[in-house]
Amino acid sequence: MNCEELRDHYDLYALGIAEEPECSEIAAHLERGCEACRKGVQKAIELSALLASTAPAAEPSAGLRRRILASAGVETRRFPWAPVWAAAAAFALVAAVYFGFEYQRAGEEALRLESQLRQEHGEVARLNEALAIISGPNTQETDFSAGQPRPPRGKVFVNPGQGVLLIASNLAPAPLGKLYEMWVIPKTGKPAPAGLFQSEANGTAIHIQRGAVDVAATAAVAVTLESEQGAAQPTSQPLIVAQLSRPAGGR
Amino acid sequence: MFALPLIFFLNLLSTPGDAELVERLKRRDPKALGQLYDRFGRVAYSVIVRMVRDASIAEDLVQETFLRVWTRIGSLDTQKGSIGVWLVTIARNRALDYLRSAAARERHAPDLEKIERPSLYQDLENDILRSDSSRRVKSAMEKLSPNQRQVIEFAYFEGLSQSDMAERMGQPLGTVKTWVRAALNVLRSEMGVAAP
Repeated sequence: MNCEELRDHYDLYALGIAEEPECSEIAAHLERGCEACRKGVQKAIELSALLASTAPAAEPSAGLRRRILASAGVETRRFPWAPVWAAAAAFALVAAVYFGFEYQRAGEEALRLESQLRQEHGEVARLNEALAIISGPNTQETDFSAGQPRPPRGKVFVNPGQGVLLIASNLAPAPLGKLYEMWVIPKTGKPAPAGLFQSEANGTAIHIQRGAVDVAATAAVAVTLESEQGAAQPTSQPLIVAQLSRPAGGR
Repeated sequence: MFALPLIFFLNLLSTPGDAELVERLKRRDPKALGQLYDRFGRVAYSVIVRMVRDASIAEDLVQETFLRVWTRIGSLDTQKGSIGVWLVTIARNRALDYLRSAAARERHAPDLEKIERPSLYQDLENDILRSDSSRRVKSAMEKLSPNQRQVIEFAYFEGLSQSDMAERMGQPLGTVKTWVRAALNVLRSEMGVAAP
C-alpha cells in the first residue's frame, strides 16, 4: 500500500487501534524510514495526546513516588516485591536462608507474599545483586544481632567490588517523614552516607549500596533514623551497628 | 478524588526545561526521576485510572510507565524529543495492554511498542499540550455528537478497534467508521492540528 492509501489510518495507528493490513503496512513504512508516514503518524500522535486531557484528574497515593524511585534503584526506600516467579523464588531463597533460622515461619510468609508478586519490575535485578554480594568470594559477612540489647537483628555483607548489603528483621517501618539511612563508617574520618531505605510492615528490610568499598579501611556499617531527605552525617543514635572485625575475604 | 481539572496538570507537560530534564535522566541523575514523576505522575495516573478503573492496578501501571521511560530514555532525542507526549503515550499503552485480553491482542491489536518509538516523538509541536489546547479539546469534544464522542472515548480510553466498536454499539462497521472519521476531523479542525 502506498502512503496516500494509509493516510486515513494514521490516527487509528497512533491510537493503537488500526486493523490489518493497514497497521502492518504503516509499521513497515515507518520501519524503512518513510518520511511521509512518519510525519503523518506524528500529527496523529499529537491529536491522540490531546485526548489525555479529557480524562478526569485523579491523584495517586502518596507512596507511589517513593515506590517508583525504589524500583528504579534510584532510592531504595521500600522493598517492592517483584511480580514474577523468579523473584518469588529468589525472595524465598533469601528469606529462607537469612530469616528462616530466626523465624521458622519465614518460608510460609514468603509463599504468602508470592500472591502479591504482580506488576512490579526491577526487584529481580536487585535480588540478583543481593545474591551476587552474598555469594561473592571476597564478601565479608557480619551478624549484628549478637550483643544488640534489643532488635533489630540481621546481617551485613560487604563486598569490596560490589557494595554493601544489609538484611534486617524486627526493624519497624520508619514513621511518616522519616527513613532509615545506612552509613559506612571508616576507621578514620566521618561516616559516609550509604542510601535511604524503608522497612516492610513486617519489619524486614533489604538495602543495597552499590559500588566499591575499601573493606580494610572500614570499621563498621550502621543505620540511623533520619529525615525523608536524608542527612549528610548521622543526626541520631544508631539503631544498627555491624562491626567489621574480620579481614576481607574472611568468609 | 477527581476534583482538579487535568488541564492543570497538562500545563506541566511541555516546558522549556524538558531538554535539561531529559539530559539529566540520561546521565542517571538520581533526582531527575523524582522530578519526572512530579511533572508527569498525576497525568499518567489520571489517564490510566480512567482506563482501568482500579486505583491499585493504575498505580502498578504508572510504575511500569516510569520504569519504561527510565530504561529507554537513552533513545529519546535530548533537544527535539517531547518527553511529555512520549510518557503519556507509554502510560496509555500500558493501560491498553492491561485491558486487552491475550486473545484480543492476538486478533487485531497492533504492537504498541512500535508506537512508542522515541524517534516518533521528536519535532512535535512544543506546545501541543499547553493549557488552552487542553481547554479547546474539551470544548471540541462537546461539539461532537453523542455517537462521535462515544467512539472517541471507546478508541482512546478502551482501545477498541472500529470492528469492536461496531459490535459493542450494534451498528454497521461502515457507520462506525464514518463516526470515527467525522469525530477526528472535528477535533482536528477545532484544535488546529494539521491533518496527517
